[in-house]
Amino acid sequence: MSTTQQGTHSLAFRVMRLCKPSFHVEPPFRLDPADLFVGEDIFDDPLAASNLPPLLSSHVSKSTDSSDLTYGNRFLLHHPSDAMGFSGLLVLPQAFGAIYLGETFCSYISINNSSNFEVRDVIIKAEIQTERQRILLLDTSKSPVESIRAGGRYDFIVEHDVKELGAHTLVCTALYNDGDGERKYLPQFFKFIVANPLSVRTKVRAVKETTYLEACIENHTKSNLYMDQVEFEPAPHWSATALKADELHPADNSSTGEIFKPPILIRSGGGVYNYLYQLKSSSDGSAQVKVEGTNILGKFQITWRTNLGEPGRLQTQQILGNPITRKEIELQILEIPSLINLDWPFSVHLNLTNHTDRELGPFEVWLSQNSAHKEKIVMINGLQTMALPQVEASGSTDFHLNLIATKVGVQKISGITVSDTREKKTYDSLPDVEIFVESD
Amino acid sequence: MDEPSPTTDPLTNQFDSLNDLAHELASLQDLATRGSWRSILDKVSRARSLNLLTNPHDHLIYVSYNVVALSKLRRFTDASNELDFLHDFNSHHYQYETYPQLYPNWSGSMVPFSLRFIHAQLPIKLGNRQEGLDRFYLLLNFIRQKIKEKERGNLEESVKIWRKRENFVLNCIIGHHLGAKEFNVCLDLIKDLINHNYLDPVLVSKLGYIQLQIGDLEGAKGSFHLVETMLNEGKNGGYPFLSEVEFRNLVNRNNALVYLVGKDYVSAVREYEECIERDHADVVAINNKALCLMYLRDLSDSIKVLENALERVPTMALNETLVINLCSMYELAYVNHSEIKRTLSNWIARVAPDDFDASCTRV
Repeated sequence: MSTTQQGTHSLAFRVMRLCKPSFHVEPPFRLDPADLFVGEDIFDDPLAASNLPPLLSSHVSKSTDSSDLTYGNRFLLHHPSDAMGFSGLLVLPQAFGAIYLGETFCSYISINNSSNFEVRDVIIKAEIQTERQRILLLDTSKSPVESIRAGGRYDFIVEHDVKELGAHTLVCTALYNDGDGERKYLPQFFKFIVANPLSVRTKVRAVKETTYLEACIENHTKSNLYMDQVEFEPAPHWSATALKADELHPADNSSTGEIFKPPILIRSGGGVYNYLYQLKSSSDGSAQVKVEGTNILGKFQITWRTNLGEPGRLQTQQILGNPITRKEIELQILEIPSLINLDWPFSVHLNLTNHTDRELGPFEVWLSQNSAHKEKIVMINGLQTMALPQVEASGSTDFHLNLIATKVGVQKISGITVSDTREKKTYDSLPDVEIFVESD
Repeated sequence: MDEPSPTTDPLTNQFDSLNDLAHELASLQDLATRGSWRSILDKVSRARSLNLLTNPHDHLIYVSYNVVALSKLRRFTDASNELDFLHDFNSHHYQYETYPQLYPNWSGSMVPFSLRFIHAQLPIKLGNRQEGLDRFYLLLNFIRQKIKEKERGNLEESVKIWRKRENFVLNCIIGHHLGAKEFNVCLDLIKDLINHNYLDPVLVSKLGYIQLQIGDLEGAKGSFHLVETMLNEGKNGGYPFLSEVEFRNLVNRNNALVYLVGKDYVSAVREYEECIERDHADVVAINNKALCLMYLRDLSDSIKVLENALERVPTMALNETLVINLCSMYELAYVNHSEIKRTLSNWIARVAPDDFDASCTRV
């Protein structure tokens, strides 16, 4: 991962990524003498039951006493939970690992003088280079390190919040006077790639006055992500409430109740978790709200934690709601007769409303042919096209359509369509309506 | 096989010393606590070839030591084959009542329970995790059946022993799920243990460590607070397996972890130093203190802390994790680190037990 210039240098950089350490876990082969010295059912015998335990426990305490120089602690159980192999011992990160957008890159940098001579006036710089920029992390130009003795070291730790994707290079440079008094320049490069840790897919649905926002977070990293905070920040004029599923387990009253809130943990490599929000528009529903065009709902702030609480945070882009299209004309069915007989005309009561601020029409209403060109079972009885006069701005008109059904049973009235004859504009047909046709 | 001859009168002096329990058991156990596993293999082999094992229970105990030794030496296939020879642990061949002249007062299984445990753990070490976990869960059921049986027979000591085994197997299972990062299962299982009266400060602390590992800092603090409450309440007679010093050190180490996670390494070091003052062989405190020093940019001192521990308390400090940490520090501190690692490696070869995994030095 590191490349350096040719030529003999007294100094060399050693670099180690310093993310948080981890707990060592390895279930061991460690035993209780009662499970090794005797048969498993021997304690059924009363003599054994009274004589064995003292013999066994005296042996155990002798072998696990720390002043006793044996390796009994690798073999005998001192405490039952020793069997878990999880003592609280921490291990340093053993590999560079993956690094993701939103995390903090932290590194231990040690500059070693492996020569036999002192080096002086050392100017050390560390910076991160990406495609777009260079970020200076450390610069000792103002106060150079006076000297690093032969075999000595100068250490520093750098941190950088990762805000860009793709290739990054940690560039470490040292400018120094070597043993011969020659001014030397040592650059060293350490490359790493930053990937995207998660993706957020959203769905917006409007039900009457309420808008629902569903967000699905998918984890692309190699570790489980503990979702510390997932917060939706609504745009102005909107308010948001998080909706949570009912608890599967009733409230736990035992002593463990408080410490057992199940954490939200998204599995590594493709695990997902869904969040649901109820959004309400906070304006008073006046016409001002019905602005045509896109509709910004807000954005998510996401904070997660990985190994030993290592944090990461990201913000999504603005989430858009469904574009609001102004409805010019609205056609509604007001009433269908409850009894419809075969081959007997019946009347459907409809209403046409003009939502615009200008006069529209005149109109024509008919039943459009369905795509399969099958003969319609429910047809207009009489003139196939109905003419309607103009409707003034924000006004409406009621009318009746005379229909007849030619088959019994459950049938559909389909394709009621209205068009504006002056503007030559046809609007979307009404959805199908089911009716029940009785026989005579 | 020759007809085994009865040993001493079972009503007298059966439990005075280890050698009363099995042929030269004291010697076997001595070798085991020194970590001289290869010597154990030799001893077992010799006893078998010289026909020194006269009784069925001797055979089984020697099999157990053999299997443990092979497992410790990471010869898992050999260990597994040896267990296969026994065929069925529940066979009447391994019941005391099958040999009334030898064991006139005893009934039930003479199989040492360790064999069942190792039988479950070996597949996991051989890479067949699912098989191993299945065996562990079946073993758990087996144990629970035994507990019910012993309770019906009012066999108090047996019930205690089998409950201990239940606790043990549950802890093993949690460890294996933890290794596979199946954290939610671990949390549920620990909750189970606690609700079945295996509540214990060490267990609750480990719950806290799992919560820290996941990133649930608030949960961890809650767990550690419970541990501290348990210390302050001072239950009657304390908790078994936990001396006062161990308990106090546990609380300090828990506090240190909270500081560490909050990046307050100075306070974490202070907590660990209190532990080491109380118990100079508290290796977890020593190891973790060294790591904190490193995060404080003090690589030289972190190395000194670990080297010092290996010198002062080698039999406690010599473990693979500490050595891995020390070698990582060497690799960072020295351009030519192979020399110093080789010195360490040579020292380990002289001092370490047979089961020490020397590959951790990466030499």
